[in-house]
Formats: sequence, structure tokens, C-alpha cells
Amino acid sequence: MDWLQVLVFPTIRALILIFVLLTGFAYLTWYERKLLARFQIRYGPNRAGKYGLLQPAADAVKAFFKEEIIPNHVDKPVYLLAPALALAPALIIWAVIPIAKGIPAIADVNIGFLWILAVAGIESYGVILAGWSSNNNYSLLGALRSAAQMVSYELPLGLFLVSILILAGSFSLVELVESTRLWWEWIWLWLAFPFFFICILAETNRSPFDLPETENELVAGFQTEYGGMKFALFFMAEYINMITTSAIMATLFFGGWKGPFAEEIIWLGPIYLVIKVVLLLFLFIWVRASIGRPRYDQLMKFCWQFMLPLGLVYMSISAVLAVFLK
Amino acid sequence: MPLDVAPISRSYETQRTLNPPGIPAAAPLPTGETDDTRRIRERFGDDIGAAGLHNGNQVVYVKPAQLKALAAFLRADPQLQYETLIDVTSVDRSHLPLNGDDARFQAIYQFRSYTRNQHLTLVTNCEAAASPAPSADHNETLLPHIDSLTGVFRGADWPEREVYDLMGIQFDGHPDLRRILMPKNWPYHPLQKQTPLGGEEVPFTLTWDDPEFETLGAQILPAESAAPDLPPGMSRENMIINMGPHHPSTHGVLRLVVELDGERVVSIDPDLGFLHSGFEKTAEHKRYKDFVYYTDRMDYLSAMANNLGYCLTVEHMLGLEIPERAQVIRVIMVEMQRIASHLFWLATHVLDVSGTGMSLLMYATRERERILDLFEMVCGARLTVSYIRIGGVWQDLPKAFITELKDFIRVMPQKIREYEAMLTDAPLWQERLAGVGYISREDGLAMGLTGPMLRGSGVDWDLRRDRPYSGYEGYEFEVPTSDRGDCYGRYRVRMEEMRQSIRILQQAVDTLPSGLYKSNNRKVSAPPRAELDVSMEALIHHFKLMTEGFHVSPGFFYHGIEGSKGELGFFVYSDGSAKPYRLHVHGPSFNNLYAIDHISRGEMLSDVVTNIGSIDIVLGEVDR
Repeated sequence: MDWLQVLVFPTIRALILIFVLLTGFAYLTWYERKLLARFQIRYGPNRAGKYGLLQPAADAVKAFFKEEIIPNHVDKPVYLLAPALALAPALIIWAVIPIAKGIPAIADVNIGFLWILAVAGIESYGVILAGWSSNNNYSLLGALRSAAQMVSYELPLGLFLVSILILAGSFSLVELVESTRLWWEWIWLWLAFPFFFICILAETNRSPFDLPETENELVAGFQTEYGGMKFALFFMAEYINMITTSAIMATLFFGGWKGPFAEEIIWLGPIYLVIKVVLLLFLFIWVRASIGRPRYDQLMKFCWQFMLPLGLVYMSISAVLAVFLK
Repeated sequence: MPLDVAPISRSYETQRTLNPPGIPAAAPLPTGETDDTRRIRERFGDDIGAAGLHNGNQVVYVKPAQLKALAAFLRADPQLQYETLIDVTSVDRSHLPLNGDDARFQAIYQFRSYTRNQHLTLVTNCEAAASPAPSADHNETLLPHIDSLTGVFRGADWPEREVYDLMGIQFDGHPDLRRILMPKNWPYHPLQKQTPLGGEEVPFTLTWDDPEFETLGAQILPAESAAPDLPPGMSRENMIINMGPHHPSTHGVLRLVVELDGERVVSIDPDLGFLHSGFEKTAEHKRYKDFVYYTDRMDYLSAMANNLGYCLTVEHMLGLEIPERAQVIRVIMVEMQRIASHLFWLATHVLDVSGTGMSLLMYATRERERILDLFEMVCGARLTVSYIRIGGVWQDLPKAFITELKDFIRVMPQKIREYEAMLTDAPLWQERLAGVGYISREDGLAMGLTGPMLRGSGVDWDLRRDRPYSGYEGYEFEVPTSDRGDCYGRYRVRMEEMRQSIRILQQAVDTLPSGLYKSNNRKVSAPPRAELDVSMEALIHHFKLMTEGFHVSPGFFYHGIEGSKGELGFFVYSDGSAKPYRLHVHGPSFNNLYAIDHISRGEMLSDVVTNIGSIDIVLGEVDR
């Protein structure tokens, strides 16, 4: 029954995970629209169902039945591949995130950290290829910005990850959550959280770092030429990325599935994780509603002149702390 | 391209032949003299035709050969110091009784000295074309021509292109004389008198077989798809980006051809005219009192100011006295409109700079909504109000208005503090605006910029304070300026202007007198309905006003008011009939937008968007 263990169970788990994530995505759009509306003294969606709860379903139906338009001037295979390429990494990062005591979402690989870094590296390809294949100046500029931005912010992001890794002493995320941290370790970690969050914002192309799709100068950036379901895929990629990165942050900084009685009652783990993810998502939306967007060159300057040195300093101090205090 | 549709004559409109004898008449020459005209005459002697005062404005007629020299003299002479060219316009006088040697086309320039607070109008006859009337098979070489002033005042560029486009006057020495508002394949110059107004009568019939349908749509130009050509001076080596006319942040149907080197802007060529509605041509076919409704549609974000600018110009030509109460009501309306316009500017500017998520858009529109509600109270409309009419205002203020307005005045300063708390000291906001879109004082003056654009560059000038109208001299307020010259400076200026407007509103509410809300001169403003039942006189006046309108004595007049975006000027040339012979609108957005190329060069693509927002344009006014 080896193939059952290797193939069937993981497949079923993956399917459940994808289902949960897609539903999560749908309701994240509702959550964001409602929250943004409250920030902006509006009501937000309130027509489809009670409190507009059926709005995501209506949007999905709309996206499905939209006419598929492929402009003549695009590089067709790449153009069609790009949305899928954008979505896939957002989903597969989830494989290593622990959702309850001793249980990863799919597999407990012993290189969880590297997995996150590696998959995050692929993420920018979807955007870059979309911009390139669209054969449109706006898309191209959006893609170039995206490439520069994601590559740059991966450096400080990586440095912070490495610092956490140094303190944790293990590549596995499952072990990271389960190992007990000392009190000063928590404080030291939380000091880094705001900066890590900034990197995550840049990495997920979320406002205020949504420069690849700045609607006010680049129309829609890399996704200008996309419509209907293909656009929905990009949309999905962005929002699932938000969920994924929130889960990563919850895992790294806030103990993941941990909470009162989560060790004893296994099913409480996922619930705690979801609560933490929802709170972190609130942070994403809060930032979007209140902070304006920097200019592209300012964003890059901020990365190279502030975040990167900061990351290096943080990593060195973490190393010293790990050697002398652990 | 055939455009063989005769202008429609509508029987119900005033016929020229029905005018009293002596109409039409050309504008009389100026009389008297002032220090400035004396000085000009000393220097130029016989090259000056007539000089003096006309309708209260200094007017100088100059021979075309000396135009450029005179403009340079006006600018350079230490006793004159006319630093800026406000406006260029023209008149086609072919329907006026002229002497044999009078030129058909006249170009009219408005100069302004900010240091000396003087205004001067320059009139020049254009040198006749080889053939007197351009024929239907239009040929560029036949156009009348005159020297371009672009060498003296950089800001003459666009106004001269506009005159060339609409009136067909060739400007010798203009660096880039292309059409600006009309499509480039348009065969005529629409403001020339022989060009028909257009508009065809829609057949009223019950069957599709009616032969009237055969000619329907004959005036519509064939939509020839022309390949877009590169604006002069741009190179294919760089990336050419076409921003607009459908673009989220060009504030309407503005098209910018942007030449980019990487993300740095090399040059910008704005392409205007997508919203060109031919208001100036239409005005020539409307009675004076009927054009008020058209002014709303120009700068649709400050309709009250447009109403006021137009009415003041015509009232000055009529020599009409406006009752005290009407004046104060007008000030209240225009200041409210200024706040509303600035709020909308703030909302869209923040949206442009910071992205859709930024909540300030909704906060600012919430307060603007209150102002629009107040407008709705007084006239039933929110955007296209047409509340200010020639002679006063449409109706008296409703009872609840003052209470509501007082409440608004009480709340508003707090709201402005709220916006400022979100923006003024926010590092991201400062970083996006500081140093971006810099324009020096000298460049601003040479380009003929007005309003917050000019005050943001350190020119202390406000028409409300310096050339007061509508009783502004009785209010206490400050004119905010900034020496920064960048988008942040302009932001600070506009925020402070809102505060000052509230101050004026407060004073106006406190001093609102009782009395008439419109002039009781029955030759101009219609008698109240109740009077018609008892007075024969009133009935006759009503009938005359509603059918023929009132006549304005021959002459021309330019009057500018401080609109929310800059100097909003109306130029009216009257031939003595009940319709303007020529009406020209000096829209501040048009001249201010000219600066976009200058201030954006070398900056990032994102800054172009910031600059458009900072200039504060309304395309309805740019294209007119």
C-alpha cells in the first residue's frame, strides 16, 4: 500500500487544500472590499446575499462567463501560460506550512525555509512573462518594475528568513513551530516583524508597493491585456499570495497553529492558524486604506539603502545571539 | 472633403436684417490716454493706431510689423513691466461694416503686469492673405498671417496654435504651428464666419421612407483612420507611450504622447480636443442671456465661477448695477464652488499619487457632497447650476440655506485639519510631491500660468484682491503663496486657499444684506411672474427679453476672475446686436496644461501623473 501513502493521500490533501484556499481567496475579496468600504465610509458589497456574502460567487460566475479575448499582437503560448505560472507558486508554498501539531499541510520537508525562498523566486516569472508576452508598453513597464522590485526585496526577505533560521537551528517549519522559544527570542523576532512585513508587501505586489500594476500611470501594469478568467487567475494569485504569506508570517512570528489547548486538541490548530491569518490579512488591508504609494525609484532606494543593510545587521546580531545565548 | 451643407437659418431666431439701423457695427476706437499708452506712443509713434481706454480697459492698436517689437518692449521696459501674456484671441470681422482698407482678421492680446497691477489689450490687424476669402478648396498659403510672439512670451505657443486652428491665422515664426483642438484632417477653420455652425434639423416624420432621411448625417465627416504620426522632436529610439485619451489618470479625455528613456520622461506632447464642443462658435448664435447655461459645461467642476465670469463681462459691457444682496450671494456661491473644486482636486490628486486604496478620496468627496447639496438647495442642480444670471442670481436663497451653510462653515475647518493630518507631514506624501514638477517664477510668468500654479511659484497675485470684482474688496482674506514652485508648494497653496474661502464665506454670511437678488433693470432681467398680471409694461419687457434678448452696445471687453484653477477670462466682442459677435473663453486649465511638458522633463513616469494632478485640469475647459 505504499503508493497510497505516496500518491493518493497527498493528492487528496492537496485537493482539499486547494479547495480551502480558493474559498479563502473568494472570501478574502469580500473581506477586503467590506473592510476598505468601512475605511472609506462606504457600505461595500451588500446586494448579493446577506451582507453581500454571495458576492464572491457572483464574481466567479461573471469571470467564468466573460468572453475570452486574446489580442492579436500577443505571444500566445506565453501569454496563456503566464496566469497559471503566477498562480501555481502561491499554492505550492503551502505544502510546507504546519497546520496543527506535527501535521504539515502536505509534507514535512526538512528544507522548509529553502522551499519558501525557492518558490517565492518563481513567483515573479508569471508577472514578468505576462508583461513581456502582452507586447504592450504599459505591460512591459509593469513587468520590468515587478522584476526589479521582487528581485530586490527578496534579498532582505531572505536575510530575515536566514536570521530566523539561525535562531531556530532547523530548516523545517514544523520543527520551528514546535520548538520552544526563549522570551528574548520572541522579542527579538517581533522587532523584525514590521520590516519583514514590508518585504512581504513588496513581494506580493500589494499596496502601497503595487507598482507593477499602478493603475494611475500604467493603466493596469502587467495585466493590462488580460481579461475574463485569465485576469481572474492573476487576481487569485495575488490574493492567495496574501493568504500564503500571512500564514508564513503567522508561522514564523506568531507560533503558527499554537494556542491554548492546541497541543491537546489537534483540530484547534487549524482554527488558531486561520484566526492569525485573518488578523494579518487585516493588516494588509489596513495598510492599503491608509498609506500612499511611493514612487518606483524611491521604493528601490528604500530597499537597497535601508532594508538590505538593516537585514544584514539583523542577521549578524542574530548570529551572535544564537552563539552566545543559546 | 465635401461639407456642402448650408447653415440653417432658424426662423425664430433674431434675423440680422431685423436689427435696428446701425447694427452691426464694429467696435469703436479707444479714447483718452493713460500713462502706459503715452509711454508706448512715445516709443513707437505712428506705428500705434489708436490707444486709450475702451470699456475701462487700456487698449492699444498696433501695426502688424511692430507687434513683436512692442511685445518685447512691453515686457522689458522698466516703466511698463508687462511680465505675462494672458491670452491671445482673434476676431473675424467679415460680417461687420468695414472701410475698404480695414483688415478682416484682428488678433487681440491681453497683457498683464503683476508688479504694477495693470492690464493692457493689444489689437493688431492681420496682414491680408493673397486671396481675400479662403475658398472651399482650402489652401494654407492663403491664410492671413502675423508675427508670432512665442519668441517673447513662451506661453503664446498654445494660444496661437488655438487661434490658427480655429480662426486660420498663420503665425510667422511659430515653432510648431499645428492644429490643437480640431482633428488634423479638418478642412476648415471653424470660427471664420463663413463656416457653418453645423447642426442639421432632424426630420420629424413617421415613416422611414421619407426622403428627408436621405440627407441625414451629411455633415458628419467621414471617419478616416489616420496612422498616428510621431509628434515633432520625438525619436523612435526611445519608448513612445500613448497615455490616454482613455487613461485612468489623465482626468478626462486628455491624450499625452510621452517619450520615455527607461522610465525617465524625455518629452511630452499633449494632444487636445477630444472634448472640443465649439462653445465659442455656439456663442455667436446664442443670445447673451442664453449662453450662461453653456458656461456650466466648460469647467464643470466650478460651474458657478464660469457663470460669474461670463455674467460679469456682459454686465460690465451693459454698465449694469448689481444689487448688494446679489453680489454677496454670488461671492458665497463662488467661494463654495472654489472649496468644492479644491476638494475634488485633492481627492483625485491623492488618488493619482497614492492609489485607489487611499481613503482620502472618499473623505474629500463627502465634504464636497455637502456643498453640492447646498447648491441643490438654491437652484435644484448640483453640477451644472446656471444659478448666476446676467443681472443677479436666478432666485433668492431658500430659508434653510443660511442655517445649513453656517453648519458647513463650522464643520469644514476641522475636516481640512483632518486631511492635512493625513498628508502634509506624511513622509510618503512629501517624498512624492517635493521637488516634483518644479517651475520657476520666471518660467511661470513667461508661460502665462495663472492661479495656484503661479502662486505656488511665489507670485503674490490674486484677482480677487488685486482687481476686485463683485465686492471682494470688502472681505478680509489672505492670498497664500509658496516659493517652492513644486507640487508640494501648490498643494500647500490650495489647502490654504480653502481655509481662506471659509473665512470669506463666514464674512459673507455675517454681512448678507436684504434686498433685491437680481437687478430690477427690466431691459435686462425679466420681471417677476406676478408683475405680468398687472402691468402691461412688464409684459412687453418679458416678451422682448424672451424673444429677442437685450442688446449690448458695440465694443469688446476682456474680464478675468479668479476661478479655482486660475484666471478665468471671458472676451466678448459685440456688434450691437443681441448675440455676441465673438466670444472667447480664456480657460486657466488650457494655459496651465501647457506647462506639463516643461515640468515633467527628466522626471519619472509616475511624476507625470502627479504633475497632471497638480496642474488641476478639467478637460471641458481645456478643449472648450
